[in-house]
Amino acid sequence: MFSAWNWVAHDLYLLLNICFLEVSGGLVQSCGHIIPESPVLALGSNFTALCILNESCLDFGNIYANQIIWKIKNRVVPKEQYREINRTVSSVTFNDTSSLATPLTCNILADGQIEQNIYGITVTIGLPPEKPKNLSCIVHQVSKLTYPMTCTWNPGRHTFLDTHFRLKYRWPQENFPDCIPKDVNNSCTITDVQFFVNLEVWVEAANALGKAESDPLVLDPIEIVKPLSPHNLSVNSGILPTVLKLSWENRISAAVMKLKFNIRYRITGDTNWMQVPPEDTASPRTSFSVQGLRPYTEYVFSIRCMKEDGVGYWSDWSEEKTGVTTEDKPTKGPPIWRIIDASRSPASWTVHLMWKALEPFEANGVILQYEVTVRAKSSLSSPPEKYSVNTTNLTLKLPNGTYEVTVIARNRVGASPPSVLLIPASNSKAPVKNVRTLPKDGKLWVGWTAPNSYVLKYVIEWCLVSNSSDCITEWQNEPGNVQGTYLKGDIKPFKCYLITVYPLYADGQGSGQSVKAYLQQDRPSKGPTVQTKKVGKAEAVLTWNHLTVDEQNGFIRSYTIFYKTIDGNETAVTVDPSKTEYTLSSLTSDTLYTVRMMAYTDEGGRSGPDFTFTTQKFGKGEIEAIVVPVCLAFLLIVLLGVLFCFNKRDLIKKHIWPIVPDPSKSNIAQWSPQVPAKHNFSSKDQMYPEGSFTDVSVVEIEADDKKSFSEQDLKPFDLLKKEKSTSEGHSSGIGGSSCMSSPRQSVSDSDEGEATQNTSSTVQYSTVVLNGYRDQTPVQVFSRSESTQPLLDSEERSEDHAGGGDSATQRQQYFKRNGGQDETNTDRPCFERTKQITPANEGDLVGFAQLQISGQSSQPLGIELEKNTQEAALSDVLQTSTEGQTVRPETVEGSLLSVDEMPKSYLPQTVRQGGYMPQ
Amino acid sequence: MAAADSPSAALRRRDLCSRGIRLAGKMRSDVIDLLDTYVERQGLDASASVAAVEGVPAAAAERWDEQTGTQRLLDNLAAYRAFRALLAQMLEEQREQLGEADAALGRALAAVLLQVSAFAYHLEELLRLESRGPPSEEGAGPPPPPHLGLFERKLRGLGVLRELAQWAVRSARDLRQLAKPGPGSSSAPSPAESP
Repeated sequence: MFSAWNWVAHDLYLLLNICFLEVSGGLVQSCGHIIPESPVLALGSNFTALCILNESCLDFGNIYANQIIWKIKNRVVPKEQYREINRTVSSVTFNDTSSLATPLTCNILADGQIEQNIYGITVTIGLPPEKPKNLSCIVHQVSKLTYPMTCTWNPGRHTFLDTHFRLKYRWPQENFPDCIPKDVNNSCTITDVQFFVNLEVWVEAANALGKAESDPLVLDPIEIVKPLSPHNLSVNSGILPTVLKLSWENRISAAVMKLKFNIRYRITGDTNWMQVPPEDTASPRTSFSVQGLRPYTEYVFSIRCMKEDGVGYWSDWSEEKTGVTTEDKPTKGPPIWRIIDASRSPASWTVHLMWKALEPFEANGVILQYEVTVRAKSSLSSPPEKYSVNTTNLTLKLPNGTYEVTVIARNRVGASPPSVLLIPASNSKAPVKNVRTLPKDGKLWVGWTAPNSYVLKYVIEWCLVSNSSDCITEWQNEPGNVQGTYLKGDIKPFKCYLITVYPLYADGQGSGQSVKAYLQQDRPSKGPTVQTKKVGKAEAVLTWNHLTVDEQNGFIRSYTIFYKTIDGNETAVTVDPSKTEYTLSSLTSDTLYTVRMMAYTDEGGRSGPDFTFTTQKFGKGEIEAIVVPVCLAFLLIVLLGVLFCFNKRDLIKKHIWPIVPDPSKSNIAQWSPQVPAKHNFSSKDQMYPEGSFTDVSVVEIEADDKKSFSEQDLKPFDLLKKEKSTSEGHSSGIGGSSCMSSPRQSVSDSDEGEATQNTSSTVQYSTVVLNGYRDQTPVQVFSRSESTQPLLDSEERSEDHAGGGDSATQRQQYFKRNGGQDETNTDRPCFERTKQITPANEGDLVGFAQLQISGQSSQPLGIELEKNTQEAALSDVLQTSTEGQTVRPETVEGSLLSVDEMPKSYLPQTVRQGGYMPQ
Repeated sequence: MAAADSPSAALRRRDLCSRGIRLAGKMRSDVIDLLDTYVERQGLDASASVAAVEGVPAAAAERWDEQTGTQRLLDNLAAYRAFRALLAQMLEEQREQLGEADAALGRALAAVLLQVSAFAYHLEELLRLESRGPPSEEGAGPPPPPHLGLFERKLRGLGVLRELAQWAVRSARDLRQLAKPGPGSSSAPSPAESP
């Protein structure tokens, strides 16, 4: 235990002593140091460092060189690189300094446990400077007396160290201060150098690892001068129109340097420079006359210089100066052409003469005017007509004939040679053949085959064909020996040009041959708009308009029609471009088709808008083919039916149209003769009030079927009889009752009974099936007998039978014959029906008259009417009708008379309307 | 003259003469310019006549055309060594007087001084080619500058520059004479070759 504490105390003591071995005067002395101190090492070299321990430290404990540990940064150097030189010195060796890093520290492992730093150094690794190469110098003249010399060199590889470069120079007998580069390591400028003495120049590069010098450069600075360019350049026009004189000032003394020059020039607007032959300017000078220039042309000049013997550098080009040569006579006459308009008058022409302004190099000045001379060739005696114009065209009205037109351009200096154009009476000479075009190099080339005769020259006319603008003719002349040329003008792509070539002969002119051409084609700008002209069941006729020239953008090579059904595949049909109509066939009937059309040029096509149409369901004549046979068949069937009916009419009549016994011959009529005759003339409406008949069936009962009568069938008659008995003495009251007054009907029946006494032995009973209207109680069913037998027995029997029941229910009873009339509206009272009947209906009028008469003559009727609202309403109507004179009394009376004359038999009013007819 | 016999020595001599002539021409041009600047900056009258300045060699020679080449070189060398010392003295005085205020004049003086020095080097080289080394400079320099007033120093400087301009002309003629082929280095130059 004591031993352990002793060791700890010893270690702490040792540690403190290692760290602060001796503190005296504020300085801390470490226990050792490293040699060398902060070395600069060449990259890749070997390096050995020594760590030397202070002797004094040895006294404090077991600190010896063998306990030293070397570290690079925090990495321990392998012990194999250590070497213990003696007990206080340890060395470490690195074979390649590239493995070194900063800091390199020397550490001690006190008692083999605690590692403590003794000392550390900073290691700098780099490369020695390389020998500067490619040293070159140039003297830039910056003013008349200032000639700084700039030397540049290749500094070599990067050294990773602070490397200083110095430009050294000297005369053999005199040294100059070094030129030290600023901010760069590859150039330096000596502010002023002296000429004519050889100067030795070299570069020295130095850093911590060494020094290197370039090869010396020995030169006379005068040999490397780049002088300032001549200045104050001026250009003056000389006497000749082809000469300009240049003057300038040199900025380097002739005592320093004799100069030679380069002069370059170009026409203003041109980009290409021309140069005065160098040998003409190879001697010192301050002026030069440039010859061979174009008259009246602006030129740009520039000049440069260098040492006369060619040693050194050319100066920069001087500032540019311009000059204009003087005018000269035009060198050629203007090209001339004409357009002849012969449409206004057959005997004379309107000749539009036009000529081109001369090019500047031909005009040689400002053209002041043109002189035009027109000479008629046919009449040589007549003097030529002369015109002076400032424009480039002239319109003349000339009689038909041959003319020679001459044009001269004139400027300040003189006149041009004349241009001559022969205008023959007719273009009777041979034309050119095979006019063709070819786009080439962004221009349009026109070629032709020359005629056999000698051609003086050709005129090529062209114009842009457009819908939006007129054809403005442009033209150009070509010599007679060519058979093709480029059009000289602004030929636009995608535009159609009409090009015409005329051959001009010495004694006439050939007719023009034309061709259309495009410089460049494109797809059409739009497609044709297609529509149908006619649509059938399986075919459709499509029409379209040609695209306009502006829309075509090229030659339309073909059209393609695309059509399809909604869900079907598209079908394409190619159509010749000359067509404007096409018939689509094999279409499906009653189908919606979508059709569109594309127009194609050589560059592609463009589609027009979609158009839809529906094919017809039936083809032409198909409906007729169906309808006509059907109608014929129908007619045939009808005819056959009629014939059949005619043949079987007796049988049909028997079943469908049975013979109705004549009621007048009925024995009932004989049975109740007391009924007033006039009551027989109750109106049909009254007799057949529209009640709740919904169905009427006819039951034929043979005369001998009496026994089958039900008592119920006879109830109405019982009732009638009963009522009749109760209203005895008021028989007219029955007839004046409402339209629903069955009692009156029964009376009427009684009257009819007289007529039916003489009818045949058969009786037809009609069974009337009555349905109640909505919630009303159905009206009792009546059946009428057509029996020729008296019904007295049964009526009498039924009278007892029906007396209580019917009166108890207060039902209105109706009787209606089966007349085939649809009268089902049970709500509609009889008077409404009356209203509906037109006054022209005589039967109805008769009815009215009857009612009116009845109403006026029998007051007791009103008592019964009080029990029945309908009857009351009828009374109102009757009164209204009377008061309103809806029916004229005369007519009514007349009708009355006629009715009175009628036989007293049962004859309903409908007889006259095609209704029931007694057989 | 032994060294002059070899072709390379002849080329070297011709080259030295040629460049010496052009250097003399430039030196004259620069001195003329410098004279204008000097007169202006020093406030002198350009037409002021200056008496012969002590220590400044005179360019005029009574029997110039009779001198030998070596003699010409020696005379030139002596003159330019003197000018070098005088110009260095003027440059120092100018710096003392004007400081850095008139750097252009100082630069021009320094440039002329350099040219004078370069020309002296040419002469020394030519003398070496003549198999006669240049004489030692010891004792050949100008006498120590007398204690002069400011104006007198200005006038003295003006005299130095004027004389240097004269010497530049003469030196060019001397070198042309030396550049002529043949042993007649002592022959007089033709009038056409005079600058």
